[in-house]
Amino acid sequence: MTSYLARRAAQAIVVVIGVMIVTFVIIHMIPGSAARAALGVHATSSRVAIFNTTYGLDKPLYVQFADYVVALFHGNFGISYTLQQPVSTLIAQRLPGDVLLLGVSTVLAVAIAIPMGIYQAVKRNRLSDQLLDGVSFTLYTMPDFFIAFLLIALFSVQLHIFPPEAPAAATLGGMLADPRGLVLPIATLTVSNLAGYSRYMRSAAIDVLAEDFLRTARAKGLPERLVLSRHVLRNSILPIVTLIGLTFPNIVAGAVIAETVFNYQGMGLLFFQAATSHDYPVLLGTTLIIGAATVVGNLAADVAYGILDPRIRHGN
Amino acid sequence: MRTSRRLAIAAVMAATAIGLAACSGSGGSSAIGTGSGTAATGQKVQGGTVTVAWPDGSAPNLIFPLPAATNTDGYDINFTQNLWPTLVSEGDGAQSAVDPQESLYSSLAYSNGDKTVTIKLKPWKWSDGTPITSRDFTFVYNLLKANVPNWIGYTQGLFPDDVKSVQTPNSSTVVLNLTRSYNPDFYTEDVLSEIPLLPQHAWDKESATGKVGNYDETTAGAKAVWNFLQKEGSDMPTFTTNPLWKVVDGPFTLASFSSDGDYTYVPNKNFSGTVPAVSQVVNEQFTSDTSELDALRSGGSLTVGQLPQNDIQQIGILKTEGYDVVNQAIPGVAGTLVNFYNAQTGPLVSQLYVRQAMEDLIDRPQIVSKVYGGYADPGNGPVPTTAFSQWASPVEKSGGPYPYDPAKAVSLLKAHGWKVTPGGTSTCQSPGTGATECGTGIAKGEALSFQLLYSAGSTTGDEMEAAIQSSEEQAGIKFGLKSEPFNTLSATVGQCTASSHPAATCGWQLVDYGYDPYDLYPAGNSIFNTDGVNNLGGYSSTEENTLINETEYGASSQAFSAYEDYTAEQLPWLWVPQPSTIEVYKSNLGGFAPLNPFSGGINPEDWYFTK
Amino acid sequence: MATSEVTPAAGAEAQQEVRRGTRTSPFRVWAANRRAQAGVAIVVALAAFCFLGPFFYHTNQVTVNLNDATLPPGPGHPLGTDGDGYDVLGRLMVGGQSSLELGFAVAIATTVIGTLYGAIAGWAGGIVDVVMMRVIDTFLALPTLVLLLILVTIFTPNLLMIIALLTALSWLGTARLVRGEVLSVRVREYVQAAKVLGSGRWWTIRRHLVPNALGVIVVSATFTVANAILMLSVLSFLGLGLPPPSADWGSMLTNGLDYLFDGYWWMVYPPAVILIVTLIAFNLIGEAARESLDVRLR
Repeated sequence: MTSYLARRAAQAIVVVIGVMIVTFVIIHMIPGSAARAALGVHATSSRVAIFNTTYGLDKPLYVQFADYVVALFHGNFGISYTLQQPVSTLIAQRLPGDVLLLGVSTVLAVAIAIPMGIYQAVKRNRLSDQLLDGVSFTLYTMPDFFIAFLLIALFSVQLHIFPPEAPAAATLGGMLADPRGLVLPIATLTVSNLAGYSRYMRSAAIDVLAEDFLRTARAKGLPERLVLSRHVLRNSILPIVTLIGLTFPNIVAGAVIAETVFNYQGMGLLFFQAATSHDYPVLLGTTLIIGAATVVGNLAADVAYGILDPRIRHGN
Repeated sequence: MRTSRRLAIAAVMAATAIGLAACSGSGGSSAIGTGSGTAATGQKVQGGTVTVAWPDGSAPNLIFPLPAATNTDGYDINFTQNLWPTLVSEGDGAQSAVDPQESLYSSLAYSNGDKTVTIKLKPWKWSDGTPITSRDFTFVYNLLKANVPNWIGYTQGLFPDDVKSVQTPNSSTVVLNLTRSYNPDFYTEDVLSEIPLLPQHAWDKESATGKVGNYDETTAGAKAVWNFLQKEGSDMPTFTTNPLWKVVDGPFTLASFSSDGDYTYVPNKNFSGTVPAVSQVVNEQFTSDTSELDALRSGGSLTVGQLPQNDIQQIGILKTEGYDVVNQAIPGVAGTLVNFYNAQTGPLVSQLYVRQAMEDLIDRPQIVSKVYGGYADPGNGPVPTTAFSQWASPVEKSGGPYPYDPAKAVSLLKAHGWKVTPGGTSTCQSPGTGATECGTGIAKGEALSFQLLYSAGSTTGDEMEAAIQSSEEQAGIKFGLKSEPFNTLSATVGQCTASSHPAATCGWQLVDYGYDPYDLYPAGNSIFNTDGVNNLGGYSSTEENTLINETEYGASSQAFSAYEDYTAEQLPWLWVPQPSTIEVYKSNLGGFAPLNPFSGGINPEDWYFTK
Repeated sequence: MATSEVTPAAGAEAQQEVRRGTRTSPFRVWAANRRAQAGVAIVVALAAFCFLGPFFYHTNQVTVNLNDATLPPGPGHPLGTDGDGYDVLGRLMVGGQSSLELGFAVAIATTVIGTLYGAIAGWAGGIVDVVMMRVIDTFLALPTLVLLLILVTIFTPNLLMIIALLTALSWLGTARLVRGEVLSVRVREYVQAAKVLGSGRWWTIRRHLVPNALGVIVVSATFTVANAILMLSVLSFLGLGLPPPSADWGSMLTNGLDYLFDGYWWMVYPPAVILIVTLIAFNLIGEAARESLDVRLR
């Protein structure tokens, strides 16, 4: 197990370094100059020159990369061109919001998906199962932004219950002070993740229900409710944990969409704004964090899987 | 998507505002021109909280009112102008004129062949009770002199380069000796309107713990003071606590500031002018049109907001929620820029007849009525007829030299040797430089095909470009459309002139990025003259330069019309309509309309609630 | 959102370390599946609507006509017109062409590249395999959307460019699956047995690898079609999709959403419904295909 962990961790580090190189190169492929992107069409050449010197953009690319890596080891992600603040500060400001958004929506999605999946598995192929299946299939295929707009159309425009805008506060406390604004972004991500999880849960539960030990348990006279909660739940929770780790890139992509629609002050919005404004330091910083988080998520899923289910022997 | 669209629009406006070196002090998203609106009637009451909605991306990040060249936030000026107003205040109500009441000078005199300016300051005081003196002007001058070009408002040759010396015969008089003579209107309205006065007695320091001195008098000292103030000025958490920023001479002081850009002003109790009537101005950042509109529709707390062009239908509903709507033309000139130095299409657009054919095919009145619901300036020439009706010539007022005329476009091309293929792509049939031939550098078989870049983000913008594209096809002129976020666009659209057209930023053929803002005096300097910093396409005409110079250094209205009509005809770029801003405000808010076109329409010092 | 390469049966797949070949044709199982039938029927109907429809229902989808903008459904315009004055029904056909073309083009290109890459990595093994897989891991560590957003700011979006970009980002999953398939086939008893019996490498490939890998490839390609169409709509939504006058369902939906407050429902729901129905159809086909593979594997 230890050697397996070490090997996986080493792989993860290689991948993170790869992500760093790839994003750095891709970002610097953007045509035109960052200075002009940041300063606007009418930037005078003297302003552009000052900008380039200030941010080291006049150096050769490999020097810029080396400088960037050295700074990274000091925890310095650079200064945002547009917001004029350290990228690490910006990310630190946004991260709690993301933990809140992704954490709550994922927990909610799982909390609904598990009973829903088990229910469907038990009622397999009956009308209620088929109805739920139809609903989750539709939601599963629906673009996130459309889910968001349906929620806005219903709850904000028609019913005036929830605002279509996440709280503008920059701190977690400020956001929680206006929880109404959190409802729709969280609901969007919950609905979007829920569909995948519940369908997964359904098939996992069907597999478990067919296992021999359940027949034994039933034969022993264990009440059905206990069979479900004790055995089915326990045995099907494992794949869900793995699934969360493996679908992390999707969760992040969903967050980018949801945050842009609702102007939720998270990393997704920060990333999107940086991408459209050529704010290289922010773009690099956020992409790197997202990449690292994905690698760690996959690693954690793998490891959890290995620990929880010793039957699995990991190949390469 | 609404979110990013608004963001892009805001960026366009902000960026154009800062980009125009030595431009209006407005910046901001809601630059507004003369327009109609009903002023609130009723008895004026003291106090009350005004909540102003600001669009996405308008959060300020610097409180020091002289941003460095690397600063990219056009809204910093909106934020600081209420704390440290400029020497000359632009815009008097809806009038395109200097507001003497809000300006810091009591008299401005030009002498010595308009080479000497004598400025007398009003006997006003800083909020800590210290008088405002000529030393505060020299402080600003010294800081700028030592630190240009690292100042956002710097234009080579203008302030402070053009100042030979500054004298302060007494504490309330400043004498500027200039290196050349200027049209006094231009210098007052476009240059001195950029310069705030700053409290030398409180800010002339090199560190937070250091003592106030006369450090600005040496170059090294002025650099150190500048760096210190820039650093303190960007430390957002301390905006309200740092003692430096408590010394103001504007109508307001900053009461609160949060890092996401929401901030609150309260009146400066020691303001030497008229202390504002409202007791609090809350500036709230809205990150999308949708949410702002929703807040307005729900009859919420917003006092002032902006209505997106797409939502003109909402005006009725808003009126029932207790709002009034004021439509204001933006004081700027919109256009589709043409690149005379593009290797491929430069020779084509260099031909006036090609530009004329293109312009003939733009149905500007239809775009105004159908795309913008009537809330736009038709864009008949270089001077917007709605925002600057006093400057617009009869030719412009009657629709400009090129009314919509597809037949004329076709015959124009045919007359110059083109095989016109309506709906397809016209090609050059008779190359050569004769009167009936295509023109210099145009080969046989060459196609009238262009790529038009425009800034992504607004549905109305998409519709306008699509309409133009369709319309141009009537004469076989092909416009390939490409929309890009504003920043991406500005990274690839650079200035291309005879001396320089770098490949990276001169690959563009046609571009529409929004508008160029005007100051009080809508002259073409910097936009249409050969060396103009905002003349991106490299249009160059000696005749044009002469005419512009005459508007700059002389002062006759005939010279202005001559310039205006010549420019309208010559098409240094293609004229297109310019949408107006639609501001929404609570009907019991007095002093809001008519709006000041040059302060972004946000002049809370003039506002009051009525009973 | 169905951007996932990891779909509900992936875990089950992971658990099925050892697979046994059987004689049931997965294709026949698939063809008998009602979901598959429904999915195929919808796709055929949609393709007919988009590609044949314009021959029967003539509309102007090239010239903007502002005088006819935002008309509600009525005579002449069964589904009304949009902000440019285009007939919405006709535009659904034109937009569908780009959406479907994109989906299929990306699926085909992805399959070719992914299969080759995965097969080479799996068959070569050793250090080549390790390096090739780390490359994939690196790109998979970044969400497709994130990479795509960076890339579309570099390259001018047009249909071909978006196909190229989506392909560049979509083959990774296919490559991984194919490599897994190659690896598992290599270690299977019957291949070992075939080797012992002295059968040639190509025989092994043709007899065992191709039929086994084909199922996985087909499943993955089907989902790729749906994903590509979906990603295009997301790009359009973010304002980075196809420039006008080209249309796709995603950009139609996005433009419609801008009029959400104005009550122009006919600009929102028709493209939304057709987009979602399309995505559902491809997912039905893919799911059914996967199920039939799984049946074989049981």
